[in-house]
Order: sequence, then structure tokens, then C-alpha cells
Amino acid sequence: MTTIAIAIFVMAAIVATIRLLLGPGLAERIIALDVTLISFMGAVSVHAAHTDSTAYLALLVVLAIIGFTATVSAARFLQHEKKGETITTKSGATS
Amino acid sequence: MTTVAGIIMILGSLVALMAAAGLHKFATPYARFHAAGKASPVAFLITAVGAGLSLGLAGAGLLAVASAAMILTLPVGVHLMFRAVHRTTPPTLAIDDLVNAETRARALKR
Repeated sequence: MTTIAIAIFVMAAIVATIRLLLGPGLAERIIALDVTLISFMGAVSVHAAHTDSTAYLALLVVLAIIGFTATVSAARFLQHEKKGETITTKSGATS
Repeated sequence: MTTVAGIIMILGSLVALMAAAGLHKFATPYARFHAAGKASPVAFLITAVGAGLSLGLAGAGLLAVASAAMILTLPVGVHLMFRAVHRTTPPTLAIDDLVNAETRARALKR
């Protein structure tokens, strides 16, 4: 049971990583990285249920906070970019 | 009980797979954020319920803390990404209700 759940979580992480690799904009890449991180967090909790140990569960809190910090800082960076810089924001269009 | 917990965890992983597939199914950044930002915390919540059933009270407490941290923080992060995309890209929507609120906020700031 837990092996199947971990396999499906790995599949979800791989599908989100494909979007991370070919997503047209920076924002979509960041959200795809977020989905990958959440799949990893779910796999960690399933692994804790599989081995029946609570050793890795504190990692989940840390991962949630770090994911939020990464998303917020990337959003601020995306919002305050200057006009002349060439960062693709949506479907290959440079702003 | 172990079988029920396993089935709940598999359901949660399927929701995570749906969140990842939603990133590919939808075309615009807004729809992709919608798919990823709503399905993935639900996926983690369902998985945490299953793992908490299997682990007992000590593990369920830690999983509840992790779930609370995720539920409180992840919608805020996705909203900030949405706002950043809305402010940096040229308008493409037919009806954009956010433009009025943005201009009002800019007028208040002055």
C-alpha cells in the first residue's frame, strides 16, 4: 500500500518536473517547483507511516516554511524587475 | 486500520498526481496556479490524515503542525505569484476585475 503511494508521489514529482523544465515563464517554473516539493513532503509522510517512525516528521514543518519563503521571495523578485532586464515572464515574451 | 490508512494515502497521492497533471492541462499561468495551488495542499492533507491514522498520536500531532503550516502559508504564496504575474504581463483577459482594485490601491498610496 505505502509502496504504491510513494510510487504515485514520485510520478507526480516527475510530471511537475517536466513542467519545470519546459514551462514558458519564470512564475510557472516556480509553481512547478512548489508542486514537486509538496509531492516530496507527501512521500516523506508516507515513508514515516511505512517505517512506523516519527523521526522525519519535523522535516515536514521545515519544508513547508522554506517553500513559502522561496515562493514569496521569488514573487517579490518577479514583481520588482526593471523594464530593461530580459526575464521571460509569460510565454516567451520578454518584459 | 492499516489498510484504511493505506487507501487514504493512495487517494492523497492521486490528488497530488492530479495537481501535477493540471500544470500540463491548462494553458494560461492563472489556470495553472489555480490547479497547483488548490490541489496540492489538499493532497498533503489527505496523505497526512492517512499517515496519522497509521502512526498514532505522536506522529499525528507533528503531521497536524506541518499541515497547519502548509495550509496557512501556501495560498498566500500562490496569491503573491498570481499578483506578480498580473502586474508584470500585459493585460490579456477580456474581463479583468483586478484592474479597478489595483488602480484604486495606487491612488490611495499617493
